[in-house]
Amino acid sequence: MTIAGAVLAVSAREPRGTLLGLLVVLLAAPLIATPWPGPLPILARVAAALLATRLIVVGLRGEGELVGDGSRIGWPAEALAAAAAAVAGFASHGLGAAGLGGPEAQAAGFALGALAAAPLVTGRDVLRLGVGSLLLLQAALLVRQALDAPATDGEQLVISLLTIGLGGAVAVIVAAARAAGRLAIADEDTRGDTPAPRRADAHRPTERDLGRRTRQATPSPAAPRASRR
Amino acid sequence: MTVVPFLVVAVTAGTASLLMRAHRRWSTTIALAGLLAMAATASAIGATAIVEIGGSRLAGSDWLRLFAILGSVIGLFLVLVDVTAVHEPDAPGVIVLGLAAAVLALALTDPGVAIAAATAGGLAGVLVAAPVGAAARAAFVGTRELRALAVAGALAILATAWLARPLGDLITAPAVFGFAYLAFAVAVAVRFGAIPFHLWAARVADAAPGVALPLLMAWGPAAFAAVALVWIDQSVAPLLLPLSTERALIATIGAMSVVLGLVAAWIQDDLEHVVGYTIVSDAGFVVLGLAVLDPDIWEPTRTWLLMFVVTRSALAAWVVALHGGFGTRRLPSLAGWARRAPALGIALIAIAAASVGWPGLALWETRSSIATLSLPVPVAVLVTVAPLLGLAIYGRILATGLEQPGAIVRDGRGERPGWPVPWPSRPMVGLGGTERAFERVAHAGSAALDVLWTLPAAARRNRQPIASVAVVVLAALATSVAAGGLGVPAAARAVPIVEPGPGQPQPSSSAAPGETGSPEPEVSFEPIEGPSGSSLP
Repeated sequence: MTIAGAVLAVSAREPRGTLLGLLVVLLAAPLIATPWPGPLPILARVAAALLATRLIVVGLRGEGELVGDGSRIGWPAEALAAAAAAVAGFASHGLGAAGLGGPEAQAAGFALGALAAAPLVTGRDVLRLGVGSLLLLQAALLVRQALDAPATDGEQLVISLLTIGLGGAVAVIVAAARAAGRLAIADEDTRGDTPAPRRADAHRPTERDLGRRTRQATPSPAAPRASRR
Repeated sequence: MTVVPFLVVAVTAGTASLLMRAHRRWSTTIALAGLLAMAATASAIGATAIVEIGGSRLAGSDWLRLFAILGSVIGLFLVLVDVTAVHEPDAPGVIVLGLAAAVLALALTDPGVAIAAATAGGLAGVLVAAPVGAAARAAFVGTRELRALAVAGALAILATAWLARPLGDLITAPAVFGFAYLAFAVAVAVRFGAIPFHLWAARVADAAPGVALPLLMAWGPAAFAAVALVWIDQSVAPLLLPLSTERALIATIGAMSVVLGLVAAWIQDDLEHVVGYTIVSDAGFVVLGLAVLDPDIWEPTRTWLLMFVVTRSALAAWVVALHGGFGTRRLPSLAGWARRAPALGIALIAIAAASVGWPGLALWETRSSIATLSLPVPVAVLVTVAPLLGLAIYGRILATGLEQPGAIVRDGRGERPGWPVPWPSRPMVGLGGTERAFERVAHAGSAALDVLWTLPAAARRNRQPIASVAVVVLAALATSVAAGGLGVPAAARAVPIVEPGPGQPQPSSSAAPGETGSPEPEVSFEPIEGPSGSSLP
């Protein structure tokens, strides 16, 4: 279920689908533990998951429909990659020594790590990158669940705070991007205001480019000439 | 007293300050009051006070107490400088919450949980790096910061998880420990923005408010590094493995950061970039400290952590004050700044002395110890003297300040104090001695009321002198810490011994860091020597 949520989170183009996937991951991840955490820690993790997702929803709120990049390789390929990583995680449970948690947690952790890699490395929209960051940290926590002794209540509380912080950070970034009307990252060239002009690469400038350059170089007849002193 | 009151005050004040962000004055006032209360509660943290909450232990120590006190006091002055200079939104609340997370990370005895807390604290910084309502470029900067935090946090969590259990036969495979050690050290380098992981830090230095830079790039990562230092000493160092390749790699990152960070700071025109790259350079010594598996590295590295965060906070405050006074951070536009703000000039000289130091000064000796323990002799000498390049950086800024003032500086606020209204004249009209005595008393009362009513306007008019005084105080604090004052080296010597995992070697309760022995996992502290040589409790 966690892996399915993560696949949905990284491959959906609609922010709603991404958020639903993320919510499933955050809700299901603490339950892949043997034994289960007590009711209070579970309540804290559920509250943190809901709050983190809600914060991102608030960040996304505004006029106009937003569409993210989604996965470039499609959800079936993402699902296959996640499944392969899960098998590797399950088979290598303990990473060379006996793990104190269940192998399922390590399988889920490996799968989430594999799914987080592409958004983190190649993601060009802020929501996707935020989801990648969230999944990466969740993956690390799942592997910890598989290797280490069951988390104490205090640890669950700190992880809940981390989840809320992550949701808040993604929400803030998404809201900043939303202010510019799109989820795409404004990089060095665009400076956040205008889309980057596509530079000519291997091609010669077209007739239209040359014409535009000539018009820019020639002063307009209406424009007064700068006087020299 | 335990660390809990400090955390409660900090979380309450930080959250309230952020919730009141629409009312900037209230938000700042709450943060200032919170920082005052945090300084008070921090001073009451007991060196051996332990509390268990939900199965996780929170332990105090002398170093933690000093970290919390210095953080609260410096945060207070930073917010004060910010209010009088540029008054950035959200920065006060983020400073309070970030400090709370850093102290929580230092107090937690389980490094795995401490890393989660330190990462959560770093996330607060995204709020000021990509403020709500800012342009899309802010989102780009925030994304970079978030990615760096996530990668560093994940690496550190994995490293601690791998070694926190019975390892069976794996304990004979040095590669496991090497990987985990390298992962954690690289995580620290990423958090500090050490070269070559500096790109996100450079963007953050560009976008984040100057007053929040020390928290984002120094205080938060310093807590992360302190956790790493404890974990390395408990989990890796006792095995006496050579790990020469990993150590060489970490030392290379550290040495590169020290030298190239200074060069990068030297060529910057934007003063916040200068702050950012000098932090990167200083952080190189922290990374160098992680490259040593000898217990002797404890004291200098933990001393250096406090020294560098204090000196860089003073420099950041200085930049914010200058920015507030003259409306720009670009050095070419600030010609003649020192002529209009001589107190800031004096503060810069003090900060330069505290940052660069000289042989014999505690700061210099600390850096020298770290370099000598982590690097071969010729490189160690080079890295030890590299901070002298800081003289060129500060000299360039000061030389610009001594030039003829440009238009921007002439139009700036300047430091000359003034009063917003002319003093009213009250001529004496009484004839007899008694009449004149009554009249004098009445005039004194009226004058006192005049002053009281005009105080808010006077504070607004004298914003620049107030900011300069705050920066001078911070510079004095930095000089004192650089000279080894406030008991920094002694506090650094008293290192808490964390709870080892089931697979880790058990340290002795009274052993110095790095030694092993006792089978019982417990939290204990090495006694430190007071000024008279007696052991403190």
